[in-house]
Amino acid sequence: MKFLRSKEGGIFIIVLVLFVVLSFLSPVFLTFDNLVDVVQTNVVLGILAIGMTLVIIIGGIDVSVGAMTAAVTVLIGKFMVEVGHSLPVVLLLAAAGGTLLGAINGFLVSRIKAHAIVVTLGTLSVYSGLTMYVTGGVWINQLPQVFLDFGRIRLPGDIPIQIVFLVLVAAFTAYLLKYMRIGRSVYALGGNMRSAERAGISVARVQMFVYSYMGFLAGIAAFVHTSIYRQVDPNAFNGFELQVIAAVVLGGANILGGSGRVGGTLLGVALLALIGNGLTLAHVPSFWHKVIIGLFIAAAVVFDVLQRRRIEKQLAKIDVLTS
Amino acid sequence: MKRKGMVLFILSLALALVASACGGGSGGKGGGSGSSDGSYTIAVVPKLVGIPYFNASETGAKKAGEDLGVEVIYTGPTEPDAAQQVKVIEDLISKKVDAIAVAPNDPAALTPVLKKAKDAGILVMDWDTPADQSVVELSVHQIDDQQFGEHLVDKLVELMGDSGEFAIVTGGLSANNLNTWIDYGLKHIEANYPGLKLVTERVPSDEKQQVAYQKTLDLLKAYPNLKGFLGYSTPAPLGIAQAIQEKGLQDQIAVVGTALPTDSGPYLEDGSLDVAALWDPGKLGYLTVYLAKHALEGNKVENGMDVPNVGKIEVKSDGKTVIMGPPTDFLKDNYKNYDF
Amino acid sequence: MKPIVLKSLAAIKLTGYEKILLGVFACLFALFSLTAPNFLSSVNLQSMMVQMPEFGLIALGLMVVVMTAGIDLSVTYLAALSGIAIAWALVQGWPVPLALAAGAGAALLCGSFNALLIAGTGVSPIVLTLGSMILFEGIALRLTKGGSISGFPESYYLIGGGHIGPIPVPMLIFAVVAVLTAVLLNRTAWGRGVFMIGSNPTASKFSGIPVRSVLIRVYLFSAFMAFLAAIIMTSRYNSAKVDYGSSYLMQGLAAVVLGGTSITGGSGTVKGTVIGVAIFQILSSALNLYSISPHIVNVLMGGILIAVLLVDYLVKMRQRAARLRKAKGSQASSGGNAG
Repeated sequence: MKFLRSKEGGIFIIVLVLFVVLSFLSPVFLTFDNLVDVVQTNVVLGILAIGMTLVIIIGGIDVSVGAMTAAVTVLIGKFMVEVGHSLPVVLLLAAAGGTLLGAINGFLVSRIKAHAIVVTLGTLSVYSGLTMYVTGGVWINQLPQVFLDFGRIRLPGDIPIQIVFLVLVAAFTAYLLKYMRIGRSVYALGGNMRSAERAGISVARVQMFVYSYMGFLAGIAAFVHTSIYRQVDPNAFNGFELQVIAAVVLGGANILGGSGRVGGTLLGVALLALIGNGLTLAHVPSFWHKVIIGLFIAAAVVFDVLQRRRIEKQLAKIDVLTS
Repeated sequence: MKRKGMVLFILSLALALVASACGGGSGGKGGGSGSSDGSYTIAVVPKLVGIPYFNASETGAKKAGEDLGVEVIYTGPTEPDAAQQVKVIEDLISKKVDAIAVAPNDPAALTPVLKKAKDAGILVMDWDTPADQSVVELSVHQIDDQQFGEHLVDKLVELMGDSGEFAIVTGGLSANNLNTWIDYGLKHIEANYPGLKLVTERVPSDEKQQVAYQKTLDLLKAYPNLKGFLGYSTPAPLGIAQAIQEKGLQDQIAVVGTALPTDSGPYLEDGSLDVAALWDPGKLGYLTVYLAKHALEGNKVENGMDVPNVGKIEVKSDGKTVIMGPPTDFLKDNYKNYDF
Repeated sequence: MKPIVLKSLAAIKLTGYEKILLGVFACLFALFSLTAPNFLSSVNLQSMMVQMPEFGLIALGLMVVVMTAGIDLSVTYLAALSGIAIAWALVQGWPVPLALAAGAGAALLCGSFNALLIAGTGVSPIVLTLGSMILFEGIALRLTKGGSISGFPESYYLIGGGHIGPIPVPMLIFAVVAVLTAVLLNRTAWGRGVFMIGSNPTASKFSGIPVRSVLIRVYLFSAFMAFLAAIIMTSRYNSAKVDYGSSYLMQGLAAVVLGGTSITGGSGTVKGTVIGVAIFQILSSALNLYSISPHIVNVLMGGILIAVLLVDYLVKMRQRAARLRKAKGSQASSGGNAG
């Protein structure tokens, strides 16, 4: 019962409703095949949104995430074509490259104390400009067979291997947030920066961690993406950051910081995925899609705020009563 | 406060010096038509820089510059934004280039600035996509739009038959040339293949392969009787093909699209992509520069003219519309012959 | 005309930061005049004066929103929608003033969507305008099916292409609007409200400031700026389309921050934003004239933004250190009390 009252509970119900509606609108919706496809095409969004969750919990934001992911895809693409194709090395390179880019963001935000949106706006231009300059926009094909075969692996039950990555990332991050000290620090910082500081938490360290972790996940996402699409397109992530942020926000995280959960974010991703999938399955002409999605996001965030206000008012009443 | 001023000043100085050093080469030549060594400066402006198609045109354009001894400036906006493109052209006018060849993101948007260029004595031409014909002196088309739109449809019919359901995945809803080809194709269908049924409005894919892939998967489920796909813009056919490949539907569904041969390779091999039709963008770039120099030297274009490295071109009766040639079909057995 | 202009120019006071910004502008201008080919040519000066206003107007609108600790991500698509309304009206044969009214109406309608929801429900501006941005783009796509609308009467070009003396009409529009904005911010209750809400929303609520009404007007102001930018753009580009000017959002935000407006709200000046916009303008023109790859231009723009933040931080640190030293100094001289 408590779950249903929570923020995530509300979103879960919406997702459930969407499920039901879509299964009526289209006979193919509720098939295993379709659902696996929907998950697979949104694995990258999921991984990035999980990283963004931490950033938003501490009250920050990272609009350079698309550029970071694109940069890492180019990095590993060039590496595989020109140097070597040992998969573990490539994965490590992706993770390290992403973490470095994220760390730069973290350094700038924590050291020069500028606001995250402006800093990451700057790094977005720098990263994407460099990526485009280095590649000239040319796609990288001819990826080694070993890598291509890896991308095609399916687990029993016909589940693409990329989903495993998402599951691992989600599980680990959830664990981190709930049981590890750094996780508690993240929430503390998001809740009230001053009190967190007074409680001995190093704000700079937590910020550094969070942005680097975002970069780390961007690296993983780059690896996963390339394994699905089997080529590198430096333009593939233009504008993607908005979808990532939308997913996190729809999942119930408060944009001002302090709250957010991996589970909620996954629901937010599911919501976006289902709407996209659903609109096509329901034969809605493409011209209407953005209108519907925009209205949906606006409605969802307004509804969320009104809910929160209502809860706050109730709490205020209790205060008065007990005093 | 003074300190900050000093730091900012030094920063901007450093920046400007770096900038002038980078641009030094062409910056030194300065302006003026027909500079000191008598060679022309021809500016070629694509819709945007940084996508494989326009990278290939750049290679062709630059090669023409080398072969013909003219300076080629290939620059454009980083996004297919008409406003940015206008800016690029205004700056080229300031640079006093001899000719500007532009592939407009939006033809009407460029008319005022192209008029300005013309008034400044600059030769104005368009390539890849037509601009306002009252302003340009030459209009270089890679193919005839109508011929191309119809050709794609004909190829699709060859493969799936002349009746059945099909879907269209396009790069973006606001891309003029794609819409032109789609519209010609649809008219052709209405007139000649009434048995073909388009299941829904053209589906945009944001010029990204992964979006085309996702949308195709959805379309396959939403319309289980699909027999064919038309993909417009270079990433879209690949995304469609990938979905077909994924689902093992190579033999059931025909896929025809506009794609580059090297990227299409893997999909042509196993039949998930049946035909990729396009033209050689490098040749187009080369032709554009060639014709610019030709016109700057005061020559007219003739129908059937043979242009080195390009072939025989067609010139329409208005004397200024040039068609490079018919579209090239990239298939399983010939795509390896191309390097773009 | 001239004496009034000169007198009012003289009356403009600049803060320390703005003086530095102006200094940077002057130095860059001088440098570019010497090294960038044809920078000082009348063609280039004209094109810079013509390119700046549409970007500058959007920056002004963003500035006011940012001053209230908010943001408006939908502003460029709002401008596109407004432009489409004007274009449609012109093509239907409406007289120009009426067509402009249609555009204003469309802009204000969209602006009210943002304004009422943000001011009325307290929803976070960044997420709401994320939604409205997609919504407006969707409506624009639905109306135009992705194509462009063109075919305007000759008289309409005068707005984008006309001149009064050596100065292009768009630049005059921008100048007038900038002055009006400064007046609104500094001399009206609304302006005071904007500053206060940005610096301390709770205190503002309790000191009798009509927060809701001020915020509504803020987002309507941003929408109106977008409308003005739309007029200039449709006139210059001779058509209206969904994706015109979509790059102005990021650049506008960067110019606003460069101009000294704090992203957390409460401070900002029109002069600073104008100089910031001007710096971005000459930078982008000069870099184009140098024939630098547009990708590197992006990198440099991003780099400059970060550099400015860095410098700002370093200066603040020095100021704080100086203040601490002064405080310690006066403590010591007054008998040295602990704490």
